Amino acid sequence: METELRNAIRKLLEEKTVDVAIGYGRVGVGGAVGAVFVTSPDEVDQLVWNNECRQNLAVHLTRPEIKALGKIAIVVKACDARAVVVLANESQIKREEIVVVGVVCEGVVKARFDGSNGEQFFEKCASCVEHAPKNVDVLIGDEAKAAELDAKNAPTAATSGNQAKLAKLRAMTSEERFQYWRGEFSRCVRCYACRQSCPLCYCNRCVADKNRPTRIETSASMKGVFAWNLLRAFHLAGRCVSCGSCAAACPAGIELDLLNLTLVNAAKEHFNYVAGEPGVPPLIGTYSLDDEEDFIR
Amino acid sequence: MAKIGVFTCWCGENIARHVDVEAVSEAISKLPGVACSMNYKYMCSEPGQSLISEKIKELGLTGVVVASCSPHMHLKTFRKTVELAGVNPYMVEMANIREQCSWVHSDKAVATAKAIELIGIAVAKVRRNAALQPIKVPVTKRAMVIGAGVAGIQAALDLAAGGVEVILVEREPSVGGKMAGLSETFPTLDCSQCILTPRMVEVGQHPNIKLMTYSEVEKVDGYVGNFKVTVRKKARYVDIAKCTGCGTCWNACPKKNKIPNSFDYNLGNRGAIYIPFPQAVPARPTIDADNCLRLQSMKKGKELCGICMKNCGSQAINFHDQDELVEFDVGAIVVATGYKLYSIGKEQENPNIKGYGEYGYGKYKDVIDSLQFERIISASGPTGGEPKRPSDGMTPKTVVFIQCTGSRDNAKGITYCSKICCMYTAKHTMLFKHKVHDGAAHVFYMDIRSGGKMYDEFVRRAIEQDGALYHRGRVSKIEEIKVDGVKKYRCYGADTLAGEPCVVDADLVVLACAMVPSDGVTKLAQKLSVGYNEYGFLSESHPKLRPVETNAAGVFVCGACQGPKDIPETVAQASAAAGKALIMLSQPYLTREPEIATVDEKLCAACGACVQTCPFKAITIEEIRDRKGNFIKNTSRVNPGLCMGCGTCVSVCPSKSVDLIGFTDDQVYAELESLLA
Repeated sequence: METELRNAIRKLLEEKTVDVAIGYGRVGVGGAVGAVFVTSPDEVDQLVWNNECRQNLAVHLTRPEIKALGKIAIVVKACDARAVVVLANESQIKREEIVVVGVVCEGVVKARFDGSNGEQFFEKCASCVEHAPKNVDVLIGDEAKAAELDAKNAPTAATSGNQAKLAKLRAMTSEERFQYWRGEFSRCVRCYACRQSCPLCYCNRCVADKNRPTRIETSASMKGVFAWNLLRAFHLAGRCVSCGSCAAACPAGIELDLLNLTLVNAAKEHFNYVAGEPGVPPLIGTYSLDDEEDFIR
Repeated sequence: MAKIGVFTCWCGENIARHVDVEAVSEAISKLPGVACSMNYKYMCSEPGQSLISEKIKELGLTGVVVASCSPHMHLKTFRKTVELAGVNPYMVEMANIREQCSWVHSDKAVATAKAIELIGIAVAKVRRNAALQPIKVPVTKRAMVIGAGVAGIQAALDLAAGGVEVILVEREPSVGGKMAGLSETFPTLDCSQCILTPRMVEVGQHPNIKLMTYSEVEKVDGYVGNFKVTVRKKARYVDIAKCTGCGTCWNACPKKNKIPNSFDYNLGNRGAIYIPFPQAVPARPTIDADNCLRLQSMKKGKELCGICMKNCGSQAINFHDQDELVEFDVGAIVVATGYKLYSIGKEQENPNIKGYGEYGYGKYKDVIDSLQFERIISASGPTGGEPKRPSDGMTPKTVVFIQCTGSRDNAKGITYCSKICCMYTAKHTMLFKHKVHDGAAHVFYMDIRSGGKMYDEFVRRAIEQDGALYHRGRVSKIEEIKVDGVKKYRCYGADTLAGEPCVVDADLVVLACAMVPSDGVTKLAQKLSVGYNEYGFLSESHPKLRPVETNAAGVFVCGACQGPKDIPETVAQASAAAGKALIMLSQPYLTREPEIATVDEKLCAACGACVQTCPFKAITIEEIRDRKGNFIKNTSRVNPGLCMGCGTCVSVCPSKSVDLIGFTDDQVYAELESLLA
């Protein structure tokens, strides 16, 4: 699969279809997998594909310095592919100007604190029912295998992985839940790794950095971290594609994706809305004059 | 350094009774930036306003807070005052210590403390106010009137008389609306057509009025003073410029008198090429494509009939006519789309409204609605004014009129009073009795509502002089029976004043049905961004002080599309709407309040959340390019002509890169902080 991926990217670069390909490479400390930006066919051997490819590379699509390199190809997993769709829906990218290379993903593993790779898969992967990315231009990998994995996870998707964890939290009293998050957030230092790793946090100036007036408390006090983490989750309501980048990036190991998942579930339950479908208007802020609810008119 | 003057009003006793104004003035004078704090009995009065301007001049005030009533009441007054004294009018804030304080509290200490807080908020805000200039937008001196019933006709004539070009759009083939079909009108019993047709002719001939009959509004773009309205001119198959209205075609049509005429509410018939009624304006025929033999045969590739075309001396008939879209630039729009009657028995479009199956409307031919009765007794109607019942043409001797059919009936879903039924039912009884002297007119009513000049006298006349029989009560059921071989309708009613059941065997039953807005008005309202209530009646901007304006600037309403009303009221409102539109169009440019949204284009990420959410379509995504034309970034941008300053965009913007001028985040946070301090 890795060879197949390299060949596909090489072809795109050789034919000048794209000027830069964003993919995974062993660029981190101790050979950890991170983003590489390949600009010539000679460099494609840097690209890797394995279960350590946990980052969502779509985060680079909106960066002006990357855009300046020219036409972009990007390597995506299924969840990342949905982020690309949301970016296009929110007019951050022109979808037709980007070549999306999807790779069938069988799940990615968590990193240990020392940077080495653990055995443990991300919880989101345990309940994943979309192993083959959709809405891509090139698809690498075995679709039949992907469908098999989808089918295997489907019966338990709503009750396993992060959903199981969330269900446990939802079963608590609100006081217990508050105490739980209080404990979690006590480790937050407002490093904003969650913000930087999220492909959908693309504002030119984050509202957390607004100071005339200060919209939310800026310090890492309990008030400040609650305000920040909840605001971040709310800004992703109806947009989060559950790629889990925020939780993977958090140096304090806070399961931020559980906050997002609450809103993902709410969007699904109340509006039958799943983020990352092409051409679908955003959930928040969209209204229809034919809405069945009377109060909206 | 801010120098703020705070002026606390007693509002006579309205405020002073529950707020200790002296204590308020004293407390406020200690706030930072407050240069003077005074109180006076009537701040809005001439001496009150003089006090403000004197203090501005004496102390060089930079901002003013007036603590009095709602800004709805007097903000404009005080803005004018400070402007005349040389300070920017947007440096005034009002603290509402009447509606939001003295009127809702009885404990003086509590109310006084709250008044101090409310004024403190206003002081905090005015410290951050900026001098603003009103926005000027150009204005197109042309108006559109939608609907050419009596309201639309009156509005168009008034606008035209005021020197404004008017586009009068009517979806039916003729102007005239409901009124053209009425018999005689209360309370004077003058013939409806006699008073309306001269006006219809006038709109047809007026040099300033462009009549667009058989046309509908397709699309509305633009904003106050600069609307762009696309009108669909439906295919009429007759060139009304060539046609002379001679009538050869409709007399020759093989379908003549075979198709139910909707103008007669299907009681009379017309042909496939027809004019709806003899006095129609324009007096030019229309071909009903669904019933025309030629047009139907053309669909199958044949060319049958065509008799009208062969007989037409002026070659006015064109079977290949197509719908045409015509675009108009107008500065103001008057909506006068009128009403229809609620459909009693049939399926309801509105799921919240139920019909009256028990009255058998639609099943019994002689159970008719009030507009059908108008046609039956109208000299121009299908019976030539002879009262004949639809089923067998018999002259009815006993007629039952049932008021409030639909109206004021919570169980059926319409809670409002349709206002005109009491009066026209009284009229109906009179007209019937004038034609059938030995007839009996029974009226079942809930209350008789006859407020208005000469209105109650009119009802009394129906009862006392013409002998209408009024029963206070409702009819629960109508049943068809045979009495001596003659069809009758047994109405099971009650006379609650006598306290006994009241059963009448009627020859004809007339239902005074609720008025509802005409078809398609909600779709039109959406195109115009005008609000409407649960029944579809259009919303005026203020029920008392802005009764013909709507919340969409430049769009005015008149007549029954805004709520049930009779002809005199409709005409008065139409003139009012025309007057308001004329005032607007008489300005060289329009000034608008500068309190609109503005985007910080450097910060905007152009996610489009505001574009999606803006109810006025005022925001678009635009490109920012440098002087050489190189693309820099996208940003959202607000059209100042369209923005109504609602602030919805501010609330959805994730990075808060959009602000509402006059209500900026900075100002609102300062207000909140003053409360928490």
